Amino acid sequence: MNGSDATRRAVLGGIGSVGLGSLAGCSGLFERQSTGEPPVLEDRPNAVYYPTHVEGMEMIGMTDAGDRMIGLMYSYAHRFWTMDVGGVERVSPGDADVHLMASIWDPDSKRVLPVRSGLSMTITKNGTEVDSRTPWTMLSQNMGFHYGDNVVLDGDGTYTVTVETGGLSIQRLGDFEGRFDDAVTAEFEWEYSEAARDEISFRELDNAGERGALDPMEMSMPRSAAPANSDLPGRVLGSGESGDATVVVAVDERDGNPSLVVSPRTPYNRYVLPQLSLSATLSRDGETVFEGPLSSAIDPERGYHYGAEVDVVESGDDLTITVDSSPQVSRHEGYETAFLSMADISLTVE
Amino acid sequence: MRPSERGVSRREFVKAAVAIGGSAALSACLDRESPPDLQTGDPAAVPARQHAWNDALARDDHGNVRMARHHVVLLLDYADDGTPDESDRETVDTALRGLERAYQWDNEGLLFTVGYSPAYFARYDAALAGIDVPQPEALAPFEDPAPDEPDAIVHLASDYGSVVLGAEEALLGERAQLNGVDVSGLDTVFDRTDRRTGFIGAGLPAENQAVEGIPDDEPVDEDAPLFMGFKSGFEKNQASEDSVTITEGPFADGTTQHLSKITLHLDQWYEQDSRSQRVAKMFCPAHAEEDRVEGVGDNLGDSSQLGECPAHVEEDARTSGMIGHSQKAARAREDDAPRILRRDFDSTDGGQAGLHFLSIQRSITDFVETRKAMNGTDVSEDASVGTRLNNGILQYMTVERRGNYLLPPRSLRALPRPDP
Repeated sequence: MNGSDATRRAVLGGIGSVGLGSLAGCSGLFERQSTGEPPVLEDRPNAVYYPTHVEGMEMIGMTDAGDRMIGLMYSYAHRFWTMDVGGVERVSPGDADVHLMASIWDPDSKRVLPVRSGLSMTITKNGTEVDSRTPWTMLSQNMGFHYGDNVVLDGDGTYTVTVETGGLSIQRLGDFEGRFDDAVTAEFEWEYSEAARDEISFRELDNAGERGALDPMEMSMPRSAAPANSDLPGRVLGSGESGDATVVVAVDERDGNPSLVVSPRTPYNRYVLPQLSLSATLSRDGETVFEGPLSSAIDPERGYHYGAEVDVVESGDDLTITVDSSPQVSRHEGYETAFLSMADISLTVE
Repeated sequence: MRPSERGVSRREFVKAAVAIGGSAALSACLDRESPPDLQTGDPAAVPARQHAWNDALARDDHGNVRMARHHVVLLLDYADDGTPDESDRETVDTALRGLERAYQWDNEGLLFTVGYSPAYFARYDAALAGIDVPQPEALAPFEDPAPDEPDAIVHLASDYGSVVLGAEEALLGERAQLNGVDVSGLDTVFDRTDRRTGFIGAGLPAENQAVEGIPDDEPVDEDAPLFMGFKSGFEKNQASEDSVTITEGPFADGTTQHLSKITLHLDQWYEQDSRSQRVAKMFCPAHAEEDRVEGVGDNLGDSSQLGECPAHVEEDARTSGMIGHSQKAARAREDDAPRILRRDFDSTDGGQAGLHFLSIQRSITDFVETRKAMNGTDVSEDASVGTRLNNGILQYMTVERRGNYLLPPRSLRALPRPDP
């Protein structure tokens, strides 16, 4: 079964028949059947790694919501990790039926908006509320940034999922200035059946635990990729590695004064890393010329980034980017051990 | 409708009766609750400030005011067009004095307030004198509350569900005697348009957790006074009654009241968050790291010990990536004291876990500023905390309705003119 494409039904069917004659293996099998997931690996690198398995995803719908697009999709309920003070906290799927996910993007630039909006989801069936919650901001290897959570449904049937996203409480720059201010709502009709869910692909990986990441999934929605270095506006000063993240630093004089543009991204897939606290120190001939926090912002050209205006950046300047807090985004498997302990990044401007 | 008496604890039963209301619920509640013989009261002994409850309430071992356990809030519309006349005022005044005669002014008897909305005062040409009570509005970019705009609001509180139910019935003109005292209603003047019910105090949330918004495995601690599992209303985190009292103008000795209806979504709170995350989000990350909160937080004493949280909230938010609810709210201080006096309580209205956030403050601005501090928008701007995620307890609540009211002094509580 390992390594080959299969649905979870096929995987579970196979396990069930193997397990029939073997009482000794029962407890492990039951655990596996109830969650559908192999156990968490014992040895995980403190870096991005291949997860135990890869799940497909099914679109529920995509729709215009004012000036934003909202997409809704689902997969099997699965474990993930939320951020706790000083570490991560594993969340088990429990008796949840699905992992429900939403993504928000700008239809013009196709930029995913991994930003603070206080997004909430309400699920109803036959007019009765089944669930209402504020899903977690999340990062997964094959989907990138999204909002998601495991939810318990009320059996097969037609559901209505209402996604409400507040106005964006984050700096918007460039052509994004003045946009995404209002709260918007999208409603999705969802014909759900457990049988259809179990047709979603589910594949265990032979190379689980090795450093690396799943390829981004083919999907009809844009992904939360950061611009390639060559596509970043302004001048790229350099980049550094921190906690297995790549942090690209540029200086952009688009608006007159130079702005530091700091763009942390995941290795391999180049997804933006949201919800970091960063600060920067710029020194020249041993004297500090700028020191302060960087503000997170979205910009159609720069993508989601962290920045500050500075007076001038000269050749020979020393720049240090300090990670005050690691990204507080929840993580799908394979990201939960990365981006936690993040060292400063120092570079000298050429 | 008479609630089933089988397989239900006494507390749960009484709470259910309060939520259902009506005379059948009342008599069922009386059978079940069997309160002691309660003292009748004396209107002359009731304070001039309607909101002077603290001296009439019990205190716990740490000196924290222990709020009465059962609550009913009545939203009332003036039954006629135009403005009330003297006979209306007399009807209301008589009905309210009836309640005061029926029960002693304390937690075992009955505590109540009567307030009036901006919509009520808009019936008059004159402007409200000496105090501004604005229409309610949304107080965060992610909320869209409906405004509550009744003319008047009555808050009834007692340790006994049968007392608040009886008082409600009396006001609605459905009973002529209360605790052996002749009473009259205000139903010829007011129509009840809505009622909100609830409870606060150890045991009640645990016994009433079989509702939407709380996981099925009954996670709420038996000792918890509120659904979220922690104490609140610590003496040092509350404004004093003096400081919330209006000091000048015709409404001196009055105060303002805010009431929001909040839906709680505690599935993530109890099924996904760890104890450490819950402590960090309710109080502050340092409380979680140092394991300072035992159980529901009784060990904290008479304050939520926010002095032990980093003083620079912005810095803490940047480095912890998480920020506590109390830690944020405590920033709204005036003369180094809290600006609002919380008298909130949990609810199972509509079969949904909820919180009726009722607070009193000298001016509605005090509430608005406190709520802004709780939003933490300023704190989250340059930090990794989210708009609602890892940002106190904003993730777990939805504000459905908001209303603002003036609680006049007792002498003006019956249909006051805006410029008495």
